[in-house]
Amino acid sequence: MSAQPNDNQKLAEHVLSKVKSSGATGDLIVDAGESLSLKARDGELEEYKVTSSQIFGLRVIKDGRVGTAYSEASDSDALDSMVEQALINASFARVEEFEKISNSDDTLATDNALLCPSDAVSIDEKIEFSLALESKLAGMDKVKNVPYNGVQDVTGQRQVFTSNGLNAQSKSRTCLSFAYALVEEGDVNAMEGLGQAARIFPALDADTLVKQVHLNTLSILHGKPVPSKHYDVIFNAETQAEVFHVFASMFSGKSAKDGVNPMRDKVGEAIADPRLTILDNPSLTDGFGYALFDAEGTATDKLALVDQGSLASLIHNSATAAYFDTQSTGHASRGPKSTLGVGLHQLEIKAGTDSDSSLKAGTYLELVNLTGLHSGANPLSGNFSFGASGYLCRDGIRGQAIRGITVAGNFFEMLNKIAAIGDTPIWDWEHSSLMPSIRFSDVAISG
Amino acid sequence: MLNNQVANTVIDHALSLGADFAELFIERNQVNAINSLSSEVQSVQSGIDFGIGIRMIYGNKVLYGYTNKNDETELKKIASALAAKDLRDPTTSSTSFNFIGPTDLHPVGLPLSQGSEVASKVAYLLKADAAARKASNLISQTRGICMQRQQAIELFNSEGLHTSDTRHYIRTSLTAIASDGSEQATGSRTEGGLQGWEIHEHIDASATGDEAARQALVNLSAKPCPSGRMPVVIGNGFGGVIFHEACGHLLETTSVAKKASVFHDQMGEMIAHSAVSAVDDGTLTKEWGSINIDDEGMETRKTQLIKDGKLTSFLVDRLGAQQTGFDRTGSGRRESYKFAPASRMRNTFIEAGKNSFEDMISSMERGIYASHMGGGSVQPGTGEFNFAVTEGYYVENGKIQHPVKAATLISTGPAVLREISMVGSDFALASGMCGSVSGAVPTSVGQATLKVDDILVGGNA
Repeated sequence: MSAQPNDNQKLAEHVLSKVKSSGATGDLIVDAGESLSLKARDGELEEYKVTSSQIFGLRVIKDGRVGTAYSEASDSDALDSMVEQALINASFARVEEFEKISNSDDTLATDNALLCPSDAVSIDEKIEFSLALESKLAGMDKVKNVPYNGVQDVTGQRQVFTSNGLNAQSKSRTCLSFAYALVEEGDVNAMEGLGQAARIFPALDADTLVKQVHLNTLSILHGKPVPSKHYDVIFNAETQAEVFHVFASMFSGKSAKDGVNPMRDKVGEAIADPRLTILDNPSLTDGFGYALFDAEGTATDKLALVDQGSLASLIHNSATAAYFDTQSTGHASRGPKSTLGVGLHQLEIKAGTDSDSSLKAGTYLELVNLTGLHSGANPLSGNFSFGASGYLCRDGIRGQAIRGITVAGNFFEMLNKIAAIGDTPIWDWEHSSLMPSIRFSDVAISG
Repeated sequence: MLNNQVANTVIDHALSLGADFAELFIERNQVNAINSLSSEVQSVQSGIDFGIGIRMIYGNKVLYGYTNKNDETELKKIASALAAKDLRDPTTSSTSFNFIGPTDLHPVGLPLSQGSEVASKVAYLLKADAAARKASNLISQTRGICMQRQQAIELFNSEGLHTSDTRHYIRTSLTAIASDGSEQATGSRTEGGLQGWEIHEHIDASATGDEAARQALVNLSAKPCPSGRMPVVIGNGFGGVIFHEACGHLLETTSVAKKASVFHDQMGEMIAHSAVSAVDDGTLTKEWGSINIDDEGMETRKTQLIKDGKLTSFLVDRLGAQQTGFDRTGSGRRESYKFAPASRMRNTFIEAGKNSFEDMISSMERGIYASHMGGGSVQPGTGEFNFAVTEGYYVENGKIQHPVKAATLISTGPAVLREISMVGSDFALASGMCGSVSGAVPTSVGQATLKVDDILVGGNA
């Protein structure tokens, strides 16, 4: 890290004392990180990247008005200028009746042994892993090349200090590997990719990743469109997690407060099939969204978002909670460059009762890749239209590979068109959500 | 921003470690953003990013690191750490720096460093907000943003290059939300350029609000979009995202050098309908995607990518030139000091043709008129792309029938380029952000209204 935690505490005391002397309250986020990133090409290392960074993000509240500013420099002139700028910015903002700096004066810290474990893997061994990943995949049947691949080892640290005495620290490590194979046969080609994520480097497995990426790409190579009509659809773990995250703002108390959440007045109402229960569960230690406290230092806990089809709760920080006359749910989010918001930790969908054979009975489409998620979805209306690929399946057996189709519909309506919920939850590869497979009925497919 | 002597010492150190080429990219980025919501200022944010990126090239291998510090010891430490596995005897020596400042093609009037102009920007946003709300009582919410950025860069490299530039970006947008009690729909309007806040003298807040509200109301009344293969007329301006995704990314040597582009071996060949000529031009005055120099210090230029359907140039950065043998085109770009540069687009567009809008619409028995496009993405290896229609209309028997919602267009680059059969004369550019291996960079897309004879439309009808 660029600076030691104790150094940052002194800098934070300096910053927050200036905030207090100006008659304001405030909180300061200090994010620091180090990373190693490797990419290989044609059996040799193509990119070797090491980074070290630190950033200070200040939020001040003066006379009920909120201002933010940030600095990547840590000298006293830069930090003093940051304070001054945040106060100026606050003077232009409207009065935020409900936004306050946390009263907590707790000292909080996450468990480094759990979230930031160390291992004995050397840089040489990581380079060997990167080279093996690329060369093994490149050597597989019909693989033309491996245009995108990489290995990353990222350690991030966050400290949150407030003018009321909160000192919260968290540190985490993520090791990643990913690879995309371009396979070709005659005039036909296809490219698919996948990744792995772990807390320690030895948990990454290049052989498994190579086999899976190769199988996925080869299987889809000769895919063709299917006729346009409505089908039953099962998303795989990755695409199902992506779809739910695209529409996650439906749970946002901040969006509700801002008048841009269609679920704002529907807490307590049935919005989904009664078999569907959705939680935000930051206590699952296998997930990379594991968290003991949020960006305001509020303790986190498991929260039912949808309980047996009814909207059970929105997620709140202290400001949105105050606005809706409720309690913070421990979902405050804020980056050094951003204002106070809300964010999910990690989604969990409760297992259903359908066995694999029941879930996959008859004819359905299994969708394994979606494109255009960032542009083809409207979280406000629920409407979406994505490019897709996958398989036409019958009774759990993959038949024709499918490419060049689109899947379209309305997510909010889709939550009421659930045909079955599987009995086995699994993590997506990024460990962002734990969900069983869900079979949606009557989904529009264009081919 | 970095002392010449320090730069010289660090570059000498990098070469002493055996690097073929060494480069320092120094960046100071000042940002100010104002957000409005519900006819009030929601937040004002500001900050300064500062960092130095060090790139060392050994053959075709790139070593890259960065730091927020600008002292010699830290920079040499990073260079040593990067080269630890590649140490060898020096292969070259550095040349003394020769500072050459670029010609400023985009003089600025009201830069951020002279003041944030918060009051004026707030007035603009609230005027646009008021215009949107005045358009209809179905407009239930508005959200505005005005972002100004001043990016100062300085480059040193082992070939003696020393140059610097300051880029001034301004972008403002308004999003309107229309609601009829049961459904909600959005519309938006964005203005931007490589300039300062003087842009407000040339843009009309009321027109921005009117346009955002108009689009939201159209989308509120839209019906589910028909699906299947059909002809599509794509509107001018941001409609150019079709070329950006379908072809532009496939012409970047970042993909070409890896043979991860379907066009990697088609230089000089017909890759598009003869109605198509396309350009990537970094020189257009004050355009959002313009630059004076690229992020490798090379002067920008206009690059003819396709002429009458024939592939005439790739977009080539330093490493791409080394790997493919094509000349550099001043296309090395990066989001910030946190990224090594890569070949990227600037202002990319299909040149205007001669067809009329009426001819295009009347030629369709059953199809879609996509008047406004959203974002999209492409898989360069296969050319498969998708992009979203943010305002579209169903066309039947040569006449526009009604608005449609939630449509996506998908195809492959090579296929769609051959299906562009008519290009209009109403050329326009539009600003956007393009994300790729070297981060998100400002780019413009553009075209006149054009007709694609056959493309898959994904709808929900």
